[in-house]
Amino acid sequence: MELFIQRCFDGMFNGAIYASLALAIVMIFRATGLLNFAQGEMGLLGGYVTLTLLTPPGATGVGVAVAGTEFASRWIPFHPWPPWLAIVGAMAVGALLGAAIERFIMRSLAGKSALSQVNVTIGLLVLLNGIVFQIWGPFARRLDSPFPSGKDDYFALFGARLRYTTVGVWAVLLVAIVLLGLLIQHTKTGLAFRAVTSNREGAALVGVPVNRTLTIGWAIAAAIGAMAASLIGGARALDPLTMLNLLIYALAAATIGGLDSPKGAVVGGLIVALTQSLVPPYLGVPTELTLLPPLGAMVLALALRPHGLFGTVPVNRV
Amino acid sequence: MTAPSKLRTPELPLESPTMNQRTKVALGVLFVAVLIPPFVTTSLELTKLSRIIVLVLAVLGVNLLTGYTGLISLGHGVFVGVGSFAMANLIDQGLPLVLAGVGATILTGFIGLLLGLPALRVKGLYLALVTFGTALAFPPLARRLGKLTGGVTGRTVDNDAFAPPGFLGLDDQVHVWRYGICLVVAALWFFVIRNLVNSRMGRALRTVRDNEAAAATFGVSVAQTKAGALAISAAMTGTAGALQSLLNPYISHADFDAFLSLRLYAAAVIGGLGTLAGAIYGVGALILVPAINGALNLLDSDAVVFGGGLIVMTLIAPAGIAGLASRDDPGKSAHR
Repeated sequence: MELFIQRCFDGMFNGAIYASLALAIVMIFRATGLLNFAQGEMGLLGGYVTLTLLTPPGATGVGVAVAGTEFASRWIPFHPWPPWLAIVGAMAVGALLGAAIERFIMRSLAGKSALSQVNVTIGLLVLLNGIVFQIWGPFARRLDSPFPSGKDDYFALFGARLRYTTVGVWAVLLVAIVLLGLLIQHTKTGLAFRAVTSNREGAALVGVPVNRTLTIGWAIAAAIGAMAASLIGGARALDPLTMLNLLIYALAAATIGGLDSPKGAVVGGLIVALTQSLVPPYLGVPTELTLLPPLGAMVLALALRPHGLFGTVPVNRV
Repeated sequence: MTAPSKLRTPELPLESPTMNQRTKVALGVLFVAVLIPPFVTTSLELTKLSRIIVLVLAVLGVNLLTGYTGLISLGHGVFVGVGSFAMANLIDQGLPLVLAGVGATILTGFIGLLLGLPALRVKGLYLALVTFGTALAFPPLARRLGKLTGGVTGRTVDNDAFAPPGFLGLDDQVHVWRYGICLVVAALWFFVIRNLVNSRMGRALRTVRDNEAAAATFGVSVAQTKAGALAISAAMTGTAGALQSLLNPYISHADFDAFLSLRLYAAAVIGGLGTLAGAIYGVGALILVPAINGALNLLDSDAVVFGGGLIVMTLIAPAGIAGLASRDDPGKSAHR
């Protein structure tokens, strides 16, 4: 029983990460109908910015200095920053990146086929991954965590260990959801965002600045990605392939929950993470294959309920 | 949801262009050009050239599915892998070269069909999703199936099975023999696909790509057409894998990671979707870019160029290099 609870707790951490990425994917999908394969890599770049912001210059763990730290220590005041500030800084950089991607790439895609959209987001995935690889190299790096993450930093609950990191990540996720909810329900930008989401042409006709609203949407999505990457880097490590695997979990989460449902993203994130942490030990799936249960869950969801648990079923007119 | 604003994917060719004078000349030149290398290159260079031919075949597989049928596949690296491992294991069973190759091809086609079936129930993006997931899951799965794949360290393929028959007198020039095999097999597949895309099935593929509802109205079984395209595409890519294990007798799960799939996809798009020549142009880019990059020592990885290339080509030239190449053809409109 303790073991079961422990596995649930372990799954909870992943669940929060998947949920936040899935949330960003859902946001873009609702606004533009585009499945953003580059969501993970937009975050990856942000995660590495966090790394540069919080690492003092000089050689570290792997014997190679973190790229950009020399520059940062000279030009950025108070560098190295504490983890919290570094993550916020990286989210700002991520937001700029997201806005630039929308402004210079995605905007010219409006009205193009689904194929073109996949091409571009896949191109972005490969491009951003290549940029990160080029700048920071292939090393796995551990980031300083914003939460106390020593050996004894856990709550003992039902004989299992609920780590502060897990609680912290969920707290951050909930704060993010509440902030996002406030933004979307109670601000003018949020109203514009809802208008663009429900009817783009209609919104444009009544004077909603569609392009600017989409730019903000992409900025927020990229910032959420940067946050998720920084948190995962603080709990485990960050290497150029980290987000590629996370992406498939997040996509699975979004698909299971329904691609246009924020609630579905969070529930889907939890489902995927718990499938991943509970199914392998009990069904005897070897640890190398933890990718398979979530993937199986996604295929199953697609076959049985193509529009997810909470998604709206579209009506096709010809 | 409003009515679709367009009835077809405007940037991809609707007709498979008829063979004009220029194409005939190009084919003739190509035919002569592929005969020259065995006489002028070293064995290493010839093996490299053979690998390029294999890549063209794999990219043509992506092109058939994505370019002609509109099903986005981000997992064709898996089919290369399945073909390779199947070839190696069939050789182990003592099958002769041709039978092993055919077996690997059929097996891969079957697996492609199996993987696609759940995703065929839904549209567009979801197949991209499932195939991408498969591409990520394949290397760990292959590592696990140690008996078939050699596990972590990979495995060797029994090279003796590929020995050229005695009457050719190629005993000390195995690379020429292998080059010949790759060439003939690739040419066969090109011939098959060329006829396929100009047949009823080919027109069905393009109609399904451009408007499923219209296709169904005209009596095309959308599900059957998609499944058929998927099986043939996977089979062709499986052949490429089988040939690759022939060229490189050491294969491991790490050779078939998600980035192989993404590179194949990028090559198909950059070369030009929906045209046969596109596969050749695309692999040209796939080979030239790293070569230039390596010669000038610019970047640690070519990913930046491929990713950037994919974006730029999609935005400014959705029909790829093949589209650029045919744009200045004065006779084109007359041949339509």
